[in-house]
Amino acid sequence: MARSNDVGIVGSGLVGTRVAAILVARGISVRMASHTRATDLLDCGTVVLCHGGLHAALATTFLTSDIHVVSTSDSMPDVLAMLDLDERAASHGSVLVPGAACMPGLSGLLVAHASRAFDDVEEAHLSVHGTGGPACARNHHEALAGTSVGWHDGEWLQRPAGSGRELCWFPDPVGPRDCYRFGTAEPVLLQRMLPGLRRITARVSATRRDRLTARLPMMSPPHAEGGMGGLRVELRGIRHGARHDEIVGIADRLATVAGAVAAETVSVLLTESVQPGVRVLGADGLPNADLLDAVLANGISLHRYVGH
Amino acid sequence: VKFIRRVLLVLSIAGSVAGVLRLRGKGGVPTQTGGWQEVTPQR
Repeated sequence: MARSNDVGIVGSGLVGTRVAAILVARGISVRMASHTRATDLLDCGTVVLCHGGLHAALATTFLTSDIHVVSTSDSMPDVLAMLDLDERAASHGSVLVPGAACMPGLSGLLVAHASRAFDDVEEAHLSVHGTGGPACARNHHEALAGTSVGWHDGEWLQRPAGSGRELCWFPDPVGPRDCYRFGTAEPVLLQRMLPGLRRITARVSATRRDRLTARLPMMSPPHAEGGMGGLRVELRGIRHGARHDEIVGIADRLATVAGAVAAETVSVLLTESVQPGVRVLGADGLPNADLLDAVLANGISLHRYVGH
Repeated sequence: VKFIRRVLLVLSIAGSVAGVLRLRGKGGVPTQTGGWQEVTPQR
């Protein structure tokens, strides 16, 4: 099949439209399709998956057609399934970037950025507040009902999602939020990225009602877009022989963040030579510092917590 | 009356202990300054 230089976008929700807006502003030709018509994009060189639901099966279809894939899915089983596509992507000369959203996504870039301040990073504790579009809100609802994973002294710990309350302070205007363990692939991605980490936790903010109704169907339809969201990354380790903490974060609408991360990842795939296979944001194989700069250039402010 | 006396005794002892801890405790000084600052990533 003749390959065009178009970038295909599957899904036209909040994230999909923001990815399209960023790419079109740079003169990149974009074609959008719903996930039921995704095969219309089989002649594109790169495809961004922004639709609700699982992405792994569709990613496999595009990879076997030698198409680069960027996925914005944050569902734990979906991201883990995409990590297993490394051999398939490499054999077809394609690149698959799973979890190119907020968490996972920007979180990996922030960990890579903040870890440069350490001689040895030992712990990573991440938390996220808010949701993007309705599909993201449904994922948030389901992620509080299952099982969470965390890395603790060389072992994977499984704990019920919705447990482990911790008060986390996000940049203004989000402020302090009670956060709980939830079903996310982020610890798995971070452990692959920095194998020397001893402890990794990931939490999401939730209300009492969220936790009470997590195992029930959603009581009311999700909002068209969640309000102001936030992402907080805390690293602990050793610098100059002493204990050191670094806390960085952002406060913005999560769909805007996810759209910027996915669009900038596409820009990298279009302009730079990336080795085929599965590439995780923040890990070796991607120009992470350039990517973070590009994401922040979309009007997203990076904050660092400074305490005395 | 005996029960009320015991309750008052317990409450007074608890209050005394709490007062001593409050006045002589060494809880340290919590963070007084700082907060989130906008930064630009440094290469």
